[in-house]
Amino acid sequence: MHLDETYHFIISVFVERGQAPHFTEIAAHFGIPAAEGRKRLHELMAARLPNWLFPDTDLIASFAPFNNLPTQYRISVDGQQRWFAQCGLESLATTWMFPGKVVAVNAPCLDCGEPLSVEILDGEIKRADPDGIHFYVDLPIKKWYANLPFA
Amino acid sequence: MNLFRSKEHARKWTEFKPGTEAGLLTLADAMRVMSTPRHRDRPRPDYVSRLPETVPAFVQRLLDVSNNSPFWDLRPD
Repeated sequence: MHLDETYHFIISVFVERGQAPHFTEIAAHFGIPAAEGRKRLHELMAARLPNWLFPDTDLIASFAPFNNLPTQYRISVDGQQRWFAQCGLESLATTWMFPGKVVAVNAPCLDCGEPLSVEILDGEIKRADPDGIHFYVDLPIKKWYANLPFA
Repeated sequence: MNLFRSKEHARKWTEFKPGTEAGLLTLADAMRVMSTPRHRDRPRPDYVSRLPETVPAFVQRLLDVSNNSPFWDLRPD
């Protein structure tokens, strides 16, 4: 299998353009037939990583820390909002995808709809507004993998 | 898996479940959870191959951040 290469290609495309590649792009990148590109995608998505396809398709829906469908977690780098994070927790992990850059997370609070924002540089929180931002999940971590999109 | 403006906002949220207070983390602790090689090393070309090596540090970080809460314990039962 080619899990490392496929993973690295997909995550690199996400960083570059804010969207996931199609399996035909995986095939073109590695110089293999489209069907083999599709096979590599499905092998990777079966590897128990926090990534998943849109149901009954070959289309990447989510690829942590990014999401290929818009979420409320907007990620900006160098003033460009080009990415969406998979969830509130993964929004913080986007910092590792942009070394040396300030990553801005902007989202509405699901309780009141008012904005919250966080700026992170290489894993260090440089600014948070408001001060008391908290993360919440209602499911113990052992149960997350049972249905990741709904954890 | 959401961010809220404060702990109080999370508790007031219509989908907050009583008995799941252990699922609340400060922003700083949430950042710590996402700062072990499990998440930090995603840009590495050998990330998938090395994933098994990243498990112990991630499991320990979850326990450290949560004061050994069963809610955040990934160790086998």
